[in-house]
Amino acid sequence: MRGALHAEWTKMRTVTGPLWLLLGAVTSTVALSTVAASVVHCTAEGCGGDTTRLALTGVYLGQALVVILAVPCISGEYGTGMIRTTLTAVPRRATAFAAKALTLTGVLAVAATLAVLGSLLAARLTLPGLADPALSLSNGPTLRAACGTILYLILIGLLSLGIATAVRDSATGIGVTLGLLYVVPLVAQTVGAPDWQHLLQKIAPMSAGLAVQATTGLSALPIGPWAGLAVTAGWAAAALVLGGLLLHIRDV
Amino acid sequence: MSAAGIVVDGLRKRYGATVALDGMSFAVRPGVVTGLVGPNGAGKSTTMRVILGLDAVDEGTALVGGRPYRSFRHPLKHLGSLLDAGALHPGRSGRDHLLWLAHAQGLTARRVDQVIEQVGLAPAARRKAGGYSLGMRQRLGIAAALLGDPPVVMLDEPFNGMDPDGIIWMRGFLRSLAAQGRAVLVSSHLMNEVQDTAAHLVVIGRGRVVADAGLAELIAAASRNRVALRTTAAAQALRVLAEAGARVTGGGRDAVVVSGLSAEQVVALLGRSAVPFSEVSAHRATLEDVYLELTGGAVEFRAGAPSEVAL
Repeated sequence: MRGALHAEWTKMRTVTGPLWLLLGAVTSTVALSTVAASVVHCTAEGCGGDTTRLALTGVYLGQALVVILAVPCISGEYGTGMIRTTLTAVPRRATAFAAKALTLTGVLAVAATLAVLGSLLAARLTLPGLADPALSLSNGPTLRAACGTILYLILIGLLSLGIATAVRDSATGIGVTLGLLYVVPLVAQTVGAPDWQHLLQKIAPMSAGLAVQATTGLSALPIGPWAGLAVTAGWAAAALVLGGLLLHIRDV
Repeated sequence: MSAAGIVVDGLRKRYGATVALDGMSFAVRPGVVTGLVGPNGAGKSTTMRVILGLDAVDEGTALVGGRPYRSFRHPLKHLGSLLDAGALHPGRSGRDHLLWLAHAQGLTARRVDQVIEQVGLAPAARRKAGGYSLGMRQRLGIAAALLGDPPVVMLDEPFNGMDPDGIIWMRGFLRSLAAQGRAVLVSSHLMNEVQDTAAHLVVIGRGRVVADAGLAELIAAASRNRVALRTTAAAQALRVLAEAGARVTGGGRDAVVVSGLSAEQVVALLGRSAVPFSEVSAHRATLEDVYLELTGGAVEFRAGAPSEVAL
């Protein structure tokens, strides 16, 4: 396993794509969060809503770059045929797959932490009243929202990796993953029946998972913060199991 | 059978209705270069992928040094292989490509620089592999195969895309690997590529072995009982010989190659039927003849063979 991890890390750092995409994920998250924080109308009472969630809005954009980074980690190898070289060097497929997932988790943890801290900092600098507890990590719900968002981005990466392993093609993998993230909530918006809308928001990986960012009005949410993140984790786990299983049984 | 080298035993694999491997069995021994030859689609690459554990089989076993490839923790130290030289990330340098492979095997950058030197890739090692010529990619693939200093080396069509200098280098290189006591398996669909390199040949067609013998032995066997005949009345000769049960092939202007009859029988038959001829001699087969004869029935797709006379 150590060798496989070392190899995956070497792969990741010896091409320029992943680094640029990680920088892009951080930058776009912070940028969109800053825009959101600067256009909101705030009074001395607050910003008329969930300030923490507002400050972390950028994740809606940043996650797309996480998908674009994570999918080619494996489907790119199918594209060039390098997957055969990988599995020749690490013939135990579960080990090879786990090494990819762990390496991805590591780099995403760093990037997501930077993105979340950057977003909160940008909001503190943009919004009036620097002492707003909603933007301080010493505030319990804010800390939960921040950590939850980091975990959310990692889970989106793992979801992407699982889907990419199953479909073995970068364009398809990115399409399916982004569709799952963005299209399901859109469909939920158009569904008339509130019951159905509620259900879709509870089971869709993005809307459920980002419930972890909520710090106010928790009782009105379709799903609780940790329960919502658990739904996203379930999606990621299912994708990884599916991808891992197909990798295990298919010829390459 | 010896545990060293590669032992392939009774491999069977089908893709839907297509039989890819149909009881493939052979052994690759240390100290010699074994050529795996056969027409495209005969099962060369599939067999190699099975040996590497990349493809599963319906039946049979493939062992490297007595063990399944997938059981090795650091497999490149047991079997070095090159399947597809183009299987690279175009944005990664050749050296970095070898580096991640080395790290997967618990090896260091020092070993990477050694193999780069060994295959003569040093000047290009830090350039992006996407800009490499096919010959350079082959050298990079060879470097990867040597990384773990393995006792067994397996290369799929290593001569592809090499310039004449590269081919000469590759031949010498393969022989030197065998001389060091390694088992070397090299596949090719072109006989002249392997005839100066391989001492042992495994000829395959339609997923099974059609011949497994030393090079000299194969040529001798194919030359036996074949007669070269020169005649100005080829059509007449063909009819007479075919009636006697011989298999007749055109061998150029006025020349005919007869198999299934001895030279004496040919002379007697032609004499009896008053067919004129100017020369009858024992036919000396080339490796290409051997190959064509062995794989003739095993070629999946072929254009109408113009020299073959329908009888």
